[in-house]
Amino acid sequence: MGAGLLIFIYLLLLISLQYIPLRNDVAFLILKENEIKNIHYQIAFFTHVYTSWFVIFFGFFQFWKTLRKGYKKLHLCFGYIYISLILCLAGPSGLVMSVYANGGLIAKTSFILLSILWLYFTYKAYIAIREKNFALHEKYMLRSYALTLSAVSLRLFKMILANTLQLPPMDMYKIVAWSSWIFNLIIAEIYIRRKFPELTTSPTAP
Amino acid sequence: MRTIFITFLLFCFSCNHLIKNEEAKVEDEVLNNTLEENKNNTSITEKPLNIKPINKAGDIIGNWVGWFRKKENSEKDYYEDKRDIHAGEGFGWGRENKICLVIEKIEGDNVSGHSVVAGNQRVFKGKISESDTSFLIIANEPGDNKYDGTFNFYANKGDFSINGKWKAFKKIEIQEREYKLSRKNFIYNSAQQLSKESYKRYIDWEKGEKEYKKPKNLTEEEGEEFFRETSEEFVSATEKIYEINASTAELTKADVENLTKGDLLIIRNMIYARHGYSFKNRPLRVFFDAQEWYIPVHTDIKKDLTEIEKKNIQLLLKYEKNAKEYYDYFGRG
Repeated sequence: MGAGLLIFIYLLLLISLQYIPLRNDVAFLILKENEIKNIHYQIAFFTHVYTSWFVIFFGFFQFWKTLRKGYKKLHLCFGYIYISLILCLAGPSGLVMSVYANGGLIAKTSFILLSILWLYFTYKAYIAIREKNFALHEKYMLRSYALTLSAVSLRLFKMILANTLQLPPMDMYKIVAWSSWIFNLIIAEIYIRRKFPELTTSPTAP
Repeated sequence: MRTIFITFLLFCFSCNHLIKNEEAKVEDEVLNNTLEENKNNTSITEKPLNIKPINKAGDIIGNWVGWFRKKENSEKDYYEDKRDIHAGEGFGWGRENKICLVIEKIEGDNVSGHSVVAGNQRVFKGKISESDTSFLIIANEPGDNKYDGTFNFYANKGDFSINGKWKAFKKIEIQEREYKLSRKNFIYNSAQQLSKESYKRYIDWEKGEKEYKKPKNLTEEEGEEFFRETSEEFVSATEKIYEINASTAELTKADVENLTKGDLLIIRNMIYARHGYSFKNRPLRVFFDAQEWYIPVHTDIKKDLTEIEKKNIQLLLKYEKNAKEYYDYFGRG
């Protein structure tokens, strides 16, 4: 599974590299002509493109036990990069972009919600580790990375839908805008509930 | 270390086919047309039609429109001609094209004019002879084009149509054609919409070609054969092609962003069809020929496009390119 994910991370790298050298007239931006004229959108877009890949890349190693147990310093270092990139750069810039997302109010709502939850889960994970609450840290990190991976599922779902149902592009976009991160989050919640069964037992029970 | 990094970067840049369709190219034969039509010999009359029967030679002057069909030499030709193209059940094309025959001048027994068919405009010159009941015209195309030939048609006195044959000078796949044409004048109507009644589905021959990887060394005739077997692909178009008119109003992003590749393609080429553009591209030609109102009168319409149309063409092309590059790929535009 890890290897499969690495391939997708590599593909995301290719997508980001389309914008090097900095260009306003390629790929995603071709259909964002009006938005990209605004300086705040430009800053948000390029911040997101140039930082998000490192978020998904450094996050990838964090769930790997060997690294976590054997190379604590490295885990700490990668974790700092992951959290600070999301909280300071990728997250806020994603939120700005979601306000201008294609697909109307339906898609915008989805992306805004995704950005806020992404920031929230990452922040909670940070607070948890500051308080040395490892279990809580892991739970929030699983949620945070599940949302990070919506970058993969969004494109993967789109590809699958385009090759099967062949829906009109914006109808398809609205579907994947919601399904991509909700699907990931459900998987993460199921995993969390299995790994930490105490969550499912009622706190009032003796 | 640095070289490894640079090699890696170069490698990454060269792998873009994984995230997008790098071969995506949107064909636009109107804007890319470098051959300028010689409009001096075009006398397409853009005025309403006064239909009266043919009585004297001068009555034949004008535009004649109809189907330019392949000549069936036997019953077998009719039912199982190998030159016909079938694409799935219920769809076939008997290789007919819409033709516009323009008779420009009759002086004594000399006739001259031109024809427009399948993106090809050719002049012709010949003789007219009169009998008690009809006129007979025999006219030749110049002969410097592979598809030049001889028109041979007659017009019965008191009739409203002309009938005849055409025979190619050189050996080509469809050597002889037949036609029955009636008067029709071309008038540009920006409000013209696609008609559902005379609708023929648009077929994407290129998609078939790509999927079955057409061998390069085929002759033209073998290539046709190949198309015949592999053209079972349809471009999906939605009801939007009947609603959106790209000639009357400037389209916005909201109008076009949810359109399929097929919608975009048809809406853009509909602009050209309104101007009477004669399509070289076969799928488009078959599609628009089937429209009752459509007449192929020009092979170059670049100068006829209005400002609104030019803007819409650019917008549609942008979305078509994006759809081709990213719609079914991992990357997104």
